[in-house]
Amino acid sequence: LFLYTVSLNAQSPPGKPEIIKCRSYEKVTFSCWWKPASDGGLPTNYSLLYRKENDPKIYECPDYETSGLNSCYFDKAHTSFWVFYHIYVNATNALGSNVSEELSVDTTYIVETYPPTNLSLTVEDGHHDLLVKWHPPDMADVQSGWLTLKYEVRLKEEKEQEWEAHSVGNQLKLKLYGLTPGGNYVVQVRCKPDSGHWSEWSQESYIQILGGGKKTDLMLWIS
Amino acid sequence: CPDGGTNCQMSTGALFDKAVKLSHYIHSLSSEMFNEFDERFTPSRRFLAKSIMSCHTSSLNTPEDKEQAQQIQHEDLLNLVMRVLKSWNDPLLHMVAEVQDIREAPDTILWKTVEVEEQTKRLLEGMEKIVGRIHPFDLENDVNSLWSGPPAAQSADENSRLFAFYNLLHCLRRDSHKIDNYLKLLKCRLIHDSNC
Repeated sequence: LFLYTVSLNAQSPPGKPEIIKCRSYEKVTFSCWWKPASDGGLPTNYSLLYRKENDPKIYECPDYETSGLNSCYFDKAHTSFWVFYHIYVNATNALGSNVSEELSVDTTYIVETYPPTNLSLTVEDGHHDLLVKWHPPDMADVQSGWLTLKYEVRLKEEKEQEWEAHSVGNQLKLKLYGLTPGGNYVVQVRCKPDSGHWSEWSQESYIQILGGGKKTDLMLWIS
Repeated sequence: CPDGGTNCQMSTGALFDKAVKLSHYIHSLSSEMFNEFDERFTPSRRFLAKSIMSCHTSSLNTPEDKEQAQQIQHEDLLNLVMRVLKSWNDPLLHMVAEVQDIREAPDTILWKTVEVEEQTKRLLEGMEKIVGRIHPFDLENDVNSLWSGPPAAQSADENSRLFAFYNLLHCLRRDSHKIDNYLKLLKCRLIHDSNC
């Protein structure tokens, strides 16, 4: 009975929700996610509302399902670039409502793709050179020029702590010269659109460079 | 001409490569300038600014998503790029003059503004060559009037001048990115048959 009373007394309007992040994976659609605060011990409804630059109307989120819990997905019909979206989240329960801070996002600057895929490593025969190749991330249309990506490759000997990073520009391969014979290397690649953020690093790929009878540390040269 | 002749001509593909490099550079500088200036703004001023920002080029109906960008004829897209570029002539000259008086401006903004102004002129010249080859047209002379000029003298207190400059930097970053993006689309479409 005591617990019941406490929970009754604890009922209140919802706390202030917070928009955590907005992100576009392919520069065609985007999503935003929010963090609910206390629900005040009551069933609480959340709605995401937004205004677009140069348009006084207030719209409600077109799709609360696709991007998971506490999210809003803007499909391509609802996504424009080079435009501010002024976004806020409303939390409402039987005792009242609370509204998040407004977040203003220019959709051009929230593009963050998936990591590049199909990372492959080939040792050029007879040498200690490594050819690293990869594909653009899933769903990224780079053929049309709508999305332009630059890449970064990093590698290290497995036993080492420090990565060595190499900027690649928009090519899909990189040749690394003079790796340590007998060395076990791990390689990753990531990408960044012209006006967005770096992707996560891709899955790791491993390779052993042949040789290594004598331990010689050669310098690493980049093509 | 490398050999001093008069008959050499850069291929259209090479002209596009140069234009895209230039537009990319201009956007990088504009982006850095905006970010550096933005850092000097307190969150509350930033918030206020974002809700009232408007660009002199917003009346130009530019593609805002991939579908629109793919549906627009390349002649029209070229025309738009030229109009946006030309409409920045006066605002950039104003910014070069203005930036020297802004105490809050980080030191690097001065040379970057001058650089963007110069490189934008170069890009415009390059684009005129490309347009001359692909689709000669006369640009209406109204683009210069898109920008209504700096804030009037009587309302030009320190704060409103700062806001006006911040707004211009935001628009410059946005428009330079649009131009860069459209040029990359055009290059892939016209030179690489949409298979970049």
